[in-house]
Amino acid sequence: MMSLEDLIKKIQEAAKRALKEGKAEVVLGYQAGTTPMAVAPLFARTEGDCDKLVWSNFAKTNLSTYLPELKDKKVAIIAKGCDARSAVGQVVEHQIPRENVYVIGVPCTGMVDLEALKSKEARPVAASDEDMATIKLRGDGWETNIAKEEILRRNCKTCICRTPKMADEVIGDEVPSMTPDDYADLKELAAKSPEEKMAYFKGMVKDCLRCYACRNACPLCYCPVCFVDETRPQWLGKSQDEMDTFVFHLLRGFHCAGRCTGCGACEAACPVGIKVREFNRIMEEEVQKDWNYIPGLDWEQKPPLTTYRPDDEADFIR
Amino acid sequence: MAEYIVKESALKDFFKSLTEGRKLLAPVEVDGKLQMAEADPENISINYTNTHMSPKSAFFPQTERLMAFHNDAEKSDPFVYKPLGLDNVDQTVLFGIRPCDARGLVVDNLVFQNNRFTDPYWKTKYESSIKIGLACHNPCPQCFCTSVGGSPFGEEGLDVLAVVKDGGLALKSVTAEGEEFLKGLKGTESGDTSATMDELKKAAEAKMPAAIDQTQVEAREIMDIYNQPHWQETADRCLNCGVCTFVCPTCHCFDIQDETSAKGGVRMRNWDTCMSWLYSMHGTGHNPRPTKTERVRQRFMHKLKYIPMKQNGNCGCIGCGRCVTMCPVNIDIREVARQMNQ
Repeated sequence: MMSLEDLIKKIQEAAKRALKEGKAEVVLGYQAGTTPMAVAPLFARTEGDCDKLVWSNFAKTNLSTYLPELKDKKVAIIAKGCDARSAVGQVVEHQIPRENVYVIGVPCTGMVDLEALKSKEARPVAASDEDMATIKLRGDGWETNIAKEEILRRNCKTCICRTPKMADEVIGDEVPSMTPDDYADLKELAAKSPEEKMAYFKGMVKDCLRCYACRNACPLCYCPVCFVDETRPQWLGKSQDEMDTFVFHLLRGFHCAGRCTGCGACEAACPVGIKVREFNRIMEEEVQKDWNYIPGLDWEQKPPLTTYRPDDEADFIR
Repeated sequence: MAEYIVKESALKDFFKSLTEGRKLLAPVEVDGKLQMAEADPENISINYTNTHMSPKSAFFPQTERLMAFHNDAEKSDPFVYKPLGLDNVDQTVLFGIRPCDARGLVVDNLVFQNNRFTDPYWKTKYESSIKIGLACHNPCPQCFCTSVGGSPFGEEGLDVLAVVKDGGLALKSVTAEGEEFLKGLKGTESGDTSATMDELKKAAEAKMPAAIDQTQVEAREIMDIYNQPHWQETADRCLNCGVCTFVCPTCHCFDIQDETSAKGGVRMRNWDTCMSWLYSMHGTGHNPRPTKTERVRQRFMHKLKYIPMKQNGNCGCIGCGRCVTMCPVNIDIREVARQMNQ
């Protein structure tokens, strides 16, 4: 496998090429973070900016999140499989013109789940280093290495698009995909009584601050005005009322049905560790079951919830 | 000033006596996260970096029911809002506030109790509490209290300062209330703690990173900083979520909402965030902060320029580092402060 240093060099070259050849006026990528175990999104507009681009096992932001607000510009995006799938979704949903986005795909072996890392190493980390497979941590008088395999984000463990083949170009070595999610745990949930399910969901979101970092980090939450921010009429209370909080998460889950690519950006952004993606996974399974549809893999695909067929097998829709 | 020692073997007695006649809030594990919450004196931690959320919610909860009315004409005062939560306020003791967070309470105090306004909801809770700080021996990589005028052994905003020593505590009163409170506690023995504290304080301050230079920010006109080009870069990647404002000990903005039902209504206030477009949206449809750039700039200008201008140079940021740790896109206030100062 290509080393991290070589991959970074390739990313910088590809970004410079995209700017030079006029494929993009801005390249979305990552730059080194200011704290251990973090990188920051970078909007590279010059060749000098491109020299700051890095790759990392901590690249938790889905960069496609920024595409809709840049839709009038030509943008190149350094994309993991999940970022690329989201860009496809935005094109399919007519949020960005296909000709304005240039996807530089980076095969990805998964990103680190910081909560999982903390459960293995709780001491305050003063500095971190990494290669493709190992996270190296240093604190006050100690050092330790953790294999990335052991602290992958949950969505990375079932990733079906580790190499974004639909990208405009792919740099780095191809990586085989993982075994897809079998949703086994959801069967247990489905078997529960409505009361038990309600208790489960309320428990999941009880720490929610309503900061909406999950929504703002989500590449599919591009509504100009989210239903929680509507004021005329105001659909939802603003307090920590558990039903209002639950309704936000539940409706966001429904809004993302057939669209969520399971990138995990929502969970990675949550400051209180809510497993936000669980709501989306439930809908993900439903959509696969009913329409055999997996979002974000094909620039030409038609979203099942926005298409109509006169010969639809369901009576109610004809 | 009173000084006491609590030996390791006496800690439980000490914590238990804090609960006599008062509700104890202290760092305890809640669902895997350390929080300043109602505590069982058996389970209080004295070895931690800091609580996940700041202690501001003890006096300024995220949702606070301010007043309520009923619409039953048979009962007295139908349709009249009556204040809630101002009578029989719990007497509390907060143990284990980090000195940075205690300074945060001082910043909030200037908003909720100043020479023009007094917020009764904040005031009744604030004045009914004894605040015991726990000095910091090991700063975390994201914190920077000494850069913004604080110290890991700072006393501002506290009634009592405690320091971990030999597995137990050394205590010293800061205010007269603190001195009085310490008198009645169990598990304490008198002892001279000043020398120990000074020594430990020097060691802890030496571990803090070099201060962030803010002299240019102080000297420059508002509009010079306002028009600096770096705001665009920060705004580029800002998601405009409210994480930084919600975890911040000194962010104090709120939104008042009335919620009604068939039987009556409640007026409540909820934390709000200047990162949201809705926060600054006028009834006319005009929004003076129309894009991410204006919104993200506002937060840093408020902390680092406007508050210092109004509060004799005292910074609105107390350097706890929570926003640095929890920002999903690694916007680092130390970096922004450096850019503002360039």
